[in-house]
Amino acid sequence: MLNVVINIVYFMLSVALLFAFIRLTKGPSLPDRVVSLELIASIVVGYVGVHAIDTGVSSLLDVAIVIALTAFLTAIGFARFLERGGRKSE
Amino acid sequence: MSELIVAILLLTGASFMILASVGILRLPDLPTRMHASTKAGAMGAMMTMAGVAMHFGDVVVFTRAFAIVIFILITAPIAAHVIGRAGYFLGTPLWEGTVKDELKDNYDEKTHSLYSGFEPAPESVIPPTHKKRDEDDEI
Amino acid sequence: MIGFFWNVTLALAWVALSGSFTAWNLLAGLIFGYLALMVLQKHVPALKGYSRRLPRLVSFSLFFIKELFKANFRVAYDVATPVWYMKPGVIAFEMEAHSDAEIMFLSSFISLTPGTLSLDVSDDRRVLYIHAMFLQDEEQLRKDLKELEFRILKIMR
Repeated sequence: MLNVVINIVYFMLSVALLFAFIRLTKGPSLPDRVVSLELIASIVVGYVGVHAIDTGVSSLLDVAIVIALTAFLTAIGFARFLERGGRKSE
Repeated sequence: MSELIVAILLLTGASFMILASVGILRLPDLPTRMHASTKAGAMGAMMTMAGVAMHFGDVVVFTRAFAIVIFILITAPIAAHVIGRAGYFLGTPLWEGTVKDELKDNYDEKTHSLYSGFEPAPESVIPPTHKKRDEDDEI
Repeated sequence: MIGFFWNVTLALAWVALSGSFTAWNLLAGLIFGYLALMVLQKHVPALKGYSRRLPRLVSFSLFFIKELFKANFRVAYDVATPVWYMKPGVIAFEMEAHSDAEIMFLSSFISLTPGTLSLDVSDDRRVLYIHAMFLQDEEQLRKDLKELEFRILKIMR
């Protein structure tokens, strides 16, 4: 039963990734793109977790930790960059 | 039995992800998109991690999944706040259906200072010094 | 905070003395340490009110999880249906929290619930600006936020 569920979950996550990607390419402003990047990182963390269940390799969770960490740092860095740029352009 | 719980957790997590991505695609402006995406996405990741912990049923995996959940729980609001703030002060337009904006009047674009709307009260308590300071400024 | 430190120290001492380092034994050590501190707190001023915090923390977690699911379903309903019922807007919320840690916890929990997003704190730290998604009933929203703040401050202070 779990195999079927895992396949369904893979499909759902792929659809979510597709939608987030559409917003990433379309996004009218840079903050929109940053938000969708953040969401993509969350989806990939979910992917890695499901893949860990699928293959039975629990050390894949380390990858999830690293992805969550870098996503957070990216968001902070982008926000810093945005606020600096905003001040400079005035 | 545990397999059923794992399946339910994974499906709930994936549904949250779908909800987040549909929200980010459909909603009209940056703050409303963030309402849907950042929190639902974090919820989805946390649900999936709970499913992973249940599936392996091992102390090492459990502590690691727990660490990821705590980490997401700490970082998600900070990232949301930081991006939302940057987006708002950059002047990203709000949706035309926005009812009210109490921040706009209290924000000074030149000095980047944000007032609370309560400032006049303490100054009016001490009018003499305030008046004197004004005269000093004129000179 | 110092109370929690002593609790962990007592748990580690329990694990070391009983000689088996497993998660269950550590949990047992934490529980015994908690009970010991509960007895001690009347006589040590630094530990005052330590044992009262755990029930409050549990009740706060339950309350927060309930709010989280409620708000999530509300946002989900609005995202999934074609008609938008939302009335977004930015409101100024007057805080009773004053110290850095209190403001941080309050704004983080507000950001974590879907439907509300803390944008910024005013320079004199009296007002928190919140972007809310459903402003149909602003009084109700302010009441909910007040309750959340009250519960957080009860744990922190």
